[in-house]
Amino acid sequence: MFTKKQKRINWVLVVFLLVLSIFFLFPVIWMLANSFKPDASITADMNSIRAFIPPALNGNFFENYIEILTNTSFLRYMANTLIYAAILIVLGIIVNGLAGYALAKIPFPFREQWLLIIMMLLIVPTETVITIHFLIIAKAGLLNTVLGYILPMIVNPFNIFLFRQVFVSLPDDVYEAAQLDFCGPVKYFFTMVLPMSKTVVATVSVFTFLNVWNDYLWPSLVFTSSDLLTAQIGLNSITSNDNTTMGQTLAVITLVTIPVIIIYSLFSKQIVEGVTSTGSKEG
Amino acid sequence: MKKKNSIMGMAFFGPALVLLTLFLFLPMVLTFVFSFTDYFALSPELTHFVGLENYLNIFKDDLFVTSFLNTVKFVVIIVPLQCIGALILALAIHHAAHCKKYFKVAFFIPVVMSLAVVSTLWMQIYSPEGILNTLLMKLGIDAQPFIYSAKQALPSIAIMSVWQGVGYQMIIFLGGLQNINPALYEAAEMDHASGWQKFKDITLPELKPLCVFVFITVTIGAFRMLVQPMVMTGGGPDHSTYTIVYDIYETGTVNWEMGLASTMAIVFTVFVVILTIIQNVLTKDKEGRKHVHKKAKTN
Repeated sequence: MFTKKQKRINWVLVVFLLVLSIFFLFPVIWMLANSFKPDASITADMNSIRAFIPPALNGNFFENYIEILTNTSFLRYMANTLIYAAILIVLGIIVNGLAGYALAKIPFPFREQWLLIIMMLLIVPTETVITIHFLIIAKAGLLNTVLGYILPMIVNPFNIFLFRQVFVSLPDDVYEAAQLDFCGPVKYFFTMVLPMSKTVVATVSVFTFLNVWNDYLWPSLVFTSSDLLTAQIGLNSITSNDNTTMGQTLAVITLVTIPVIIIYSLFSKQIVEGVTSTGSKEG
Repeated sequence: MKKKNSIMGMAFFGPALVLLTLFLFLPMVLTFVFSFTDYFALSPELTHFVGLENYLNIFKDDLFVTSFLNTVKFVVIIVPLQCIGALILALAIHHAAHCKKYFKVAFFIPVVMSLAVVSTLWMQIYSPEGILNTLLMKLGIDAQPFIYSAKQALPSIAIMSVWQGVGYQMIIFLGGLQNINPALYEAAEMDHASGWQKFKDITLPELKPLCVFVFITVTIGAFRMLVQPMVMTGGGPDHSTYTIVYDIYETGTVNWEMGLASTMAIVFTVFVVILTIIQNVLTKDKEGRKHVHKKAKTN
């Protein structure tokens, strides 16, 4: 199928990309290799190729990681973030899912207008309203509380829209059958609609998790007490501490990235599909 | 039945509506209203209506003008590098003979890392005696101050942001390339079209809507620049990396000058909305033409 010339070009591309990817990833390789070293070795290795090679496996190999896990509140920050993410996934699916279902299947007054408004809200960037969120949460006396952090994050026009698009194509006759079974609409939503739409539920959950895990501005505004910090903000407070060594800094940022790597490798198909479909949908 | 539907509809839509009202409609209205006042959150009773004064004042305010120009500089550096970089990567990977999967993962890795993580990592990379300066020295280039000088801080952060984001748009372009009908290329091959001709006459036109989408999303993304300077430079040195969103954030939540912050937020939002509308118009236009095309065919 390929001509000889094309084959040669394709091989040149492979070599080009291989070299490029090594240069491209040098910060990540350096981060991983040096997160296992004491600062003295990091500085000493800087001048040679050893800067990109992890140290020999010995008793001190995980020293930086152990230090971070035992002597800082890092595990606590991780646990906080996981709990917030879990709460927001559950509440987000219920609130946005119910709204999406109403917009898709229940002919209530002004439904089309609401749908249009939801779509227009997609344009508004979060930065527009974040200072007012802060004001509202502060006036309500909810600064530095989990409730204050979570409340503005539950509803998400994009997720409502996503749910609506999926629910629209659900068959109506199942709903009619469920009515005969005296299955109330709310029960029907949780026992039939959501289980029938596993893909969109998974997509929304994954994106909610990533959003909560990576968010920086909002948690940094709401939380000042160190007990409640999320991993991203906690990471900042650990690394800005003068006692934290360079090796430990690299270990913390590696640790913060691990859960996201796990999520991406488990759900890479959904994520890539989500990414490419936003492109093709909008384009 | 009709009544039942409206009750049920509101019961389902209600929780979202309450939260939308509290955290989107109300904040949007408040931002708009506050932008015409001198609302100071610590003494709200002294609030006056000031008309368009804030809008005139922010453009006389050196700090806001600086942050605005910095944001524009970020956009000007990031947008071409990230868009063209992503397109080149996608094209190269699409045509590469082997290791496609490895390349996709390799260039996507920085996307997975959060902004705070990437910023913290690159503070080490950019440090005066850091690995990047060591590598430069090996190449015979003098050590650079990077994020520690007012001149280099902004481009340094911009390049880091491109590094972090480029993999995302690469995946979008790869999806687009896979969707191009191979018959188009086969037809071109029969006409003995050169590689460049195929790219210019098939690939680019087919990818055009996607290019518009990527261009606008990257522009909006760069326009929203905040976390990187916040973590790495605190907006400095000398406010050289201070951005619009940074100014909104500090004016509103640190200085509590909600009136002024709201005005900035409105100006910022207008820019984002304009960009989004441009994108919609450009891509709608294409759909419209497609439609006309189809109609012409059936006729």
